[in-house]
Amino acid sequence: MRKSVLLVLTFIMLASVALAGCGSSKDAKPSEGTKDTGTTDTQQTTQEKKADPVTLLWYTIGGPQKDQDKVLTEVNKYLQEKINVKLDMKVIDWGDYSQKMQVIAASGEPFDIAFTSSWAFNYVEGARKGYFLELDDLINQHGQGIKEVLNPAFLEGSKVNGHNYAIPTNKELPAQAVWRFNKNLVDKYKLDITKATTLESLAPMLKAVKEGEPDVYPIPSNIGMYLPFDFALEGIPVGVSMNTTDFKMVNIWESAEAKQVFKTMREYYQAGYLPPDVATKQGNDFEKTGKWLVDKQHTVPFADIQWSDSMKYPIVSTPMHEPLVFNWSVTGSMQAISSKTKYPQQAMEFLNLLNTDKYLRNLINNGIEGVHYKRLTEDTYEPIPDSGYSMPSFTLGNMFLLDKLKADPADKWEQYKKFNDSAKNAPLLGFQFDPTNVMTEIANVKNAVDEFGPSFNTGSVDPEKMLPKAIEKLKAQGIDKIIAEAQRQLDAWRASK
Amino acid sequence: MEHRTAVDPHPQANKHAAKKLRNIHHLSPFWNAIAHLGIGLFSLACVYPFLFVVVLSFTDETALAKNGYSIIPEKWSVDAYTYLFKTGDQLLRSYGVTLFITVVGTLLTLIIVSLYAYAISRSYFHFRGFFSFVAFFTMLFGGGLVPSYIVVTQVLHLKDTMWALILPMCVSAFSILIMRTFFKTMVPDAIIESGKIDGAGEFRVFLYLVLPISLPGLATIGLFAALGYWNDWFNALLYIDDARLLPLQSLLMKVETNIQFILQNAGLAGAGDRTDMVRTLPAETTRMAMVVLATVPIIFAYPFFQRYFVQGLTIGAVKE
Repeated sequence: MRKSVLLVLTFIMLASVALAGCGSSKDAKPSEGTKDTGTTDTQQTTQEKKADPVTLLWYTIGGPQKDQDKVLTEVNKYLQEKINVKLDMKVIDWGDYSQKMQVIAASGEPFDIAFTSSWAFNYVEGARKGYFLELDDLINQHGQGIKEVLNPAFLEGSKVNGHNYAIPTNKELPAQAVWRFNKNLVDKYKLDITKATTLESLAPMLKAVKEGEPDVYPIPSNIGMYLPFDFALEGIPVGVSMNTTDFKMVNIWESAEAKQVFKTMREYYQAGYLPPDVATKQGNDFEKTGKWLVDKQHTVPFADIQWSDSMKYPIVSTPMHEPLVFNWSVTGSMQAISSKTKYPQQAMEFLNLLNTDKYLRNLINNGIEGVHYKRLTEDTYEPIPDSGYSMPSFTLGNMFLLDKLKADPADKWEQYKKFNDSAKNAPLLGFQFDPTNVMTEIANVKNAVDEFGPSFNTGSVDPEKMLPKAIEKLKAQGIDKIIAEAQRQLDAWRASK
Repeated sequence: MEHRTAVDPHPQANKHAAKKLRNIHHLSPFWNAIAHLGIGLFSLACVYPFLFVVVLSFTDETALAKNGYSIIPEKWSVDAYTYLFKTGDQLLRSYGVTLFITVVGTLLTLIIVSLYAYAISRSYFHFRGFFSFVAFFTMLFGGGLVPSYIVVTQVLHLKDTMWALILPMCVSAFSILIMRTFFKTMVPDAIIESGKIDGAGEFRVFLYLVLPISLPGLATIGLFAALGYWNDWFNALLYIDDARLLPLQSLLMKVETNIQFILQNAGLAGAGDRTDMVRTLPAETTRMAMVVLATVPIIFAYPFFQRYFVQGLTIGAVKE
């Protein structure tokens, strides 16, 4: 009897000790891999006169890096001196980010700064749900530098209900679709790619390549055709025409432009210009094999150089339309401050620094000189492969402060500025559709679009026969209700301007 | 069809039978062959994809890029493995984490579930009905993702600890239900009476009399729990930011979801952004090598454990 009671008691003791031990180990995290923990300690003693530094928790997207702690130590040294702030930076994987942040924000767990965008941890949704702090006054008080460096269209275009809830990254502002060509084949068949404007104009080139290279499918994948419309919502064919004057929301699949595109794609598919299984094909293996002629991409200045660089063979491109600023291109990469933060001022000061301070921006992006990269000249560098630190540059802050790679042209960022300045606004820029009232319809219509869209876009089915059926299905799923709702909101938005 | 004697499974029983007819309970040789063929093809279909992954992991990256996937690569290479062993302490670490949470978690599950189930299986326990209700209520109604998240992170403060991978899964109402039924039906009251008469207290009865004859039940619960811990990746997705605490399945899951995500969203981000994204991923052969290293040890360990699995799962059937 006594023995068994003792047994149970010891077990309970052990369990509680283990639990307590694990619980408290969070505060006293052993900073592995940082040899210079001592320096931060001594720094703190010298800075005792100063107030204790504030620690900001920052979630951002990317691949977690091995030397994260090493770089963060350097960053914190610098930040403490500058604005008396320490950073706790957590990099969450691409695929996990949205789900994780949704849960964190919905549960009210504290964080200070987080990456948000039109494609991961949706910005407009987050702002509407009250996850993010409204930044209008904060920018004016502590983010003056941001205002100076950012193209004003960024802040203007990313407003939700008339307020800013995140700091956009200074990168390419507009989107411009291009026909992207495999130059090896272009040269071999002496094609004139300047003639590539419309989808129809590609016909002679596709024909020449297919005849010369029977085993090549000139259009390698579902390239998602460019249609001259500004979509009210990602993935739903509801929007207004690019050169609209009356701002009328339409069902895009019913438009003459869409019908024409589907018809042409059907002709190309039947001529064997696309792989037979293209509608369900995933991935971009063709980039590796080089067995393709043309696809559609969005460009940035010197994109051809980048593409050629990553594919190891030359790429050229021809624009389909002038650069246009869309809602989704303005909100392509942003950093928001949590509405629950205790330190809004420090968070904004840090974001200001991230967008204006060249040293800090490059340190967070490329790591430590000599460890993670070699410096070539004053503003060019060469990354050391497999060094354990390499962050995606477009997610963090002002890109124009970044050092350039060897292959980059000297006027890279000037060209970006020019590209941004040359942009025209898409008709719906600044209008954020609120889907709350038509959630069910949107889900249903999305399913129908996913069912038919790839087949039409790739010409796998005959649009003459199938398109009326598809449109009927969209109507049955309630697309007209979505159109009416979008129209109502759009009219209200235009009246308020 | 000729009459052949099939192999007899019980030779000692038929030692004296001079001439033996074919056992009528056996399949005829023809159908037996068909069945074997069918099962064989099916097994091959199961093994083939994995074999493919193994081959790909030993393929040269540039050959892979040039020719796409093939079961007989143009050029073999062990680059992926050398790269992984150079940089891959993460894989070993994740192995350790997974083993730890599987062992500790399974033990914890067994202790808690058996104690709970034994208590509510005794008819003289006064609060039996209440505690049964508490357990079974959770089978019908769950709080959902966000409330569970709040409990784990803000009430228990388990974020970024091993316990976040163990505690959320360590009690399952279903296991309690199985165990309770097991104790009720398989442990005769007479045994407990006899212990009481000899002066044993509740704990001694439970430890020395009840548990030893409940091993089949415990094995079943333990097996389910162990598989659950081994395969769990979702808790890690929610609660673990620190790569040092990442279990194996999560690591593999991350690689997969990242690739999916980048392929799906390539059109949304700008041109430079995509190269940026892809740069942060491991190469194709490296990913395959990761899968191989993560699964092979388990595949080799499985045959040794299989008999215990079978024994544990035949609970409730008649055994002598």
